[in-house]
Amino acid sequence: MAKNLSGDLTVASANRLSDGVVVFLDDSGHWTPKLERAALARDKRAGEILLERAKAEAFSVVDPFLVSVSEDDDGTLEPLSLREKIRVGGLTFDAIAAEAVRYA
Amino acid sequence: MPDTHFYRYDDFDRTLLAERVEQFRDQVRRRLSGELTEEQFKPLRLTNGLYLQLHAYMLRIAIPYGTLSTRQLRKLAEIARKYDRGYGHFTTRQNLQLNWIKLEDAPDAVAALAEVDMHAIQTSGNVIRNTTADHFAGAAADEIEDPRIWCEIIRQWSTLHPEFSFLPRKFKIAVTGSPNDRAAVRVHDVGLRLWRNPEGQVGFEVIVGGGLGRTPIIGKTLRAFLPKDELLAYLESVLRVYNRYGRRDNIYKARIKILVHEIGVEKMREEVEAEFASTKDSALRLDPRTIEAIAGQFAAPPLPHRPATVGAVEALKIEDRVFALWLKSNTAPHRMAGYRIVTASLKPAGAPPGDASSAQMEGVADIADAYSWGEVRVSHEQNLVLPHVAVEDLPAVYAALGRLGFAEANVGKITDIIACPGLDYCALANARSIPVAQRISNHFANLARQHDIGDLKVKISGCINACGHHHVGHIGILGVDKNGVELYQISLGGDVDFGHTALGEIIGPAVGADEIVEAVDALVATYLERRGEGERFVDTYRRIGAEPFKERVYAAV
Repeated sequence: MAKNLSGDLTVASANRLSDGVVVFLDDSGHWTPKLERAALARDKRAGEILLERAKAEAFSVVDPFLVSVSEDDDGTLEPLSLREKIRVGGLTFDAIAAEAVRYA
Repeated sequence: MPDTHFYRYDDFDRTLLAERVEQFRDQVRRRLSGELTEEQFKPLRLTNGLYLQLHAYMLRIAIPYGTLSTRQLRKLAEIARKYDRGYGHFTTRQNLQLNWIKLEDAPDAVAALAEVDMHAIQTSGNVIRNTTADHFAGAAADEIEDPRIWCEIIRQWSTLHPEFSFLPRKFKIAVTGSPNDRAAVRVHDVGLRLWRNPEGQVGFEVIVGGGLGRTPIIGKTLRAFLPKDELLAYLESVLRVYNRYGRRDNIYKARIKILVHEIGVEKMREEVEAEFASTKDSALRLDPRTIEAIAGQFAAPPLPHRPATVGAVEALKIEDRVFALWLKSNTAPHRMAGYRIVTASLKPAGAPPGDASSAQMEGVADIADAYSWGEVRVSHEQNLVLPHVAVEDLPAVYAALGRLGFAEANVGKITDIIACPGLDYCALANARSIPVAQRISNHFANLARQHDIGDLKVKISGCINACGHHHVGHIGILGVDKNGVELYQISLGGDVDFGHTALGEIIGPAVGADEIVEAVDALVATYLERRGEGERFVDTYRRIGAEPFKERVYAAV
């Protein structure tokens, strides 16, 4: 069951400078594309500290910000907003492939 | 096939682009090395059309007045394959957006664009953007003059214009040379309509202060008739007045439409004419030789005589009902007998509107080389156009487009939906657009039904910025976010046709994402029950008003 839907749980996210890929700050101060490795702040104050850390580590990323997440009993994190779900999960439809010709 | 029927870059254009590419390469290098902060770099990348969206950088490539040579289209396909994920999105401003460009590759991508005289300059920022035109320009039977000549003159004047590099807000110009508005000129910052006055002279109606977005406004006529050689002096005057009085304190009130709305069109005219008095006899007055030289570059291809009626085409119309539907909806009258303008629909059932893969772009280029003098157009309705196809080649073109998935007989119909990229890509969006378009498209996929419903323009935007032109859709759909839930607001009666230009009226509370298809179905059912002889959806709406539609929608959802 998802916990903390109030928005108190947060992770720090940004886009990677070199290619724009969505990344998250982990506990060791590295940026990772994997949400499950993100450092989790459990209250507002911890979130503020996490964001400060993210800004200090922002050399290789663009504009860090906090993302509100929920946490399941097994520790799985999921963003609360649809925007952030799409940032994590990618397009919600199938994009056409480079060599695709639709009906050939 | 050489690029012989529209403007070719000269040494000046090529030098400018080459310098710009190297400048951008250095800017990217300095950003990646940390010499530039994001704050310093952002305006530089935006000036070169490079945005940062939800998951990646997006490169917005200008396609001047929507005209492409096949060489250029093949290069776009190559760039999409090499530097992106092998597809691109054609937009309502006749641009192409590549959604997965890496910053480190961006300089190579723009260098590749420059090889075919293309760029992404001024596709962002508070500058004069890519000038758009009627996508049937130079081919349409109803055309008075080719508007692209004037678009090219505007392009040369506006590219890196120092005085207009920091306008209060972005500035969009559209030009049409036909009495049937296929360029939506009344909803642009400046719309230009070529027309012939009672004395037989051709000039421009200058329309100012139109626009969609947060505050949709239909443009007003600033000058009913402007002699052609005064175009740049007059535009310069409009831009100067806007640059001087346009608001810079509030981004939502900074477009020229707000200025015109606040001071009134009479005052705007007075200001522009006062400015024009000092500019009209300046170097900005266009020399007839300059106009002639540019017009010469747009000389029509030497189309040989071809038969207007072809037995094989007539026979196929009887044999293949879908071909007959395609002829009706996807081809348009050409100025020369024996030819048709063909629209390749980028809206096959359930597909993301306006998207084309690299293979499809190359396929369209092959077809254009074989059957349309190597020319392709991009329409603001997010389709591709083959402007000069002989009637006797129509079966072959239909078959070839069919192999690409671009022969859906739905142009102007309910599944020919305009949709912005929406929340799946866009950092500004509040709700998704493409999946909604796909569901409506699948629901109405039956071609016979679509043709029975007739002309119906559905336009979807994922936020109030209105890139999907929802305000001027016969059915407009606007995605909104309410407490984290996607909802869709429906408006009816929007239109861009001359004489009927109108903004849609919202019919009531927004409906849920899972209700939107039912809502559209209810609108269509109401129309089918109430339509009069020969009435399109929008005609019936104008006659009976919103109430019957509204009742049916809210009973259904």
